[in-house]
Amino acid sequence: MARIGRTYEGARVSASDDQSDVEKVLAGNVDSFENIVRRWQGPLINLAYRFCRERGRAEDLAQEAFLRAYRALGQWRKDSAFSTWLFALATNVYRSELRRIPVGIVSIEDVSEPRDPRADDNTLETHDRNRSVRRAVFTLPPKYREALDLFYFHEMDVPAAAQSLGLPEGTVKARLFRGRELLRGKLKESV
Amino acid sequence: MTDDELDRILSRTDDLEPSSGFTRNVMDAIRREASAPPPILFPWKRALPGLVLCVLSLVGMFVAELMRLGSPGLHQSSGPSIWVAIGTFLWTELSDLDGLLRTANAGGLGWIILALILTFASVTVPLRLIRRGI
Repeated sequence: MARIGRTYEGARVSASDDQSDVEKVLAGNVDSFENIVRRWQGPLINLAYRFCRERGRAEDLAQEAFLRAYRALGQWRKDSAFSTWLFALATNVYRSELRRIPVGIVSIEDVSEPRDPRADDNTLETHDRNRSVRRAVFTLPPKYREALDLFYFHEMDVPAAAQSLGLPEGTVKARLFRGRELLRGKLKESV
Repeated sequence: MTDDELDRILSRTDDLEPSSGFTRNVMDAIRREASAPPPILFPWKRALPGLVLCVLSLVGMFVAELMRLGSPGLHQSSGPSIWVAIGTFLWTELSDLDGLLRTANAGGLGWIILALILTFASVTVPLRLIRRGI
């Protein structure tokens, strides 16, 4: 995991910063919310992008998530990390927004990348295959896709994915298993 | 494809950087939200007497109408016995289902029900279609 992993790791260290900024915002200092936005904008946009695969929409979704977070800031109980609360809230926003205005459904034929004539180069072939796999995830039914998206977003941490989705860990594990099976089937079909 | 291969591929992200104006846009929206006046709450305290009066009037009208329709025992009833009389009257009316349906039909109940069903369908069907993205 490239930048997002580092950002997320870095943000995790700053839990006390989050708490102090939240307290300042709740005390009436709205400008302190900017620190929260700067700290979490990367992860939230990248999480949104996993859901919609459109850069512009990912930013719109992330902005909506920050706005909802601001409105609901007083509801953060502090028994869990601020990031856990924020990701669960953002996931909720993304899921409901995408249910309201879904992303265009793509078939696996659309997902398969056209073969580049230079594909005998091993690196290019690997690159194409990786892109095909990532885009094939997008054709999965939402409940499996969301489980996979959150699992990999949280660096393969099932409890964190379960918390973001608001589901029991067992359910997430089952969806991951089924999601991977469906994904393999789709990739086999496309070959 | 093995689980490890899938894990390796899917763990990689497209590494999106927020656009330059993102923080400013979010903070503008937050400041607008913060400066907006709080929503005006419904004035329950002021409305309550009026609502209570409405309910009492409706009950009064209902009882008066029942008395006018004339159950003989109803005119003399008072106190708790009036509710027994009302119950008896309603039971008598409702048990005559055939007569009730005829009366309802004469008042155009069928059309009213049809209109309600059509209204319900015209609201729910488009909503469902929108949710399915058709």
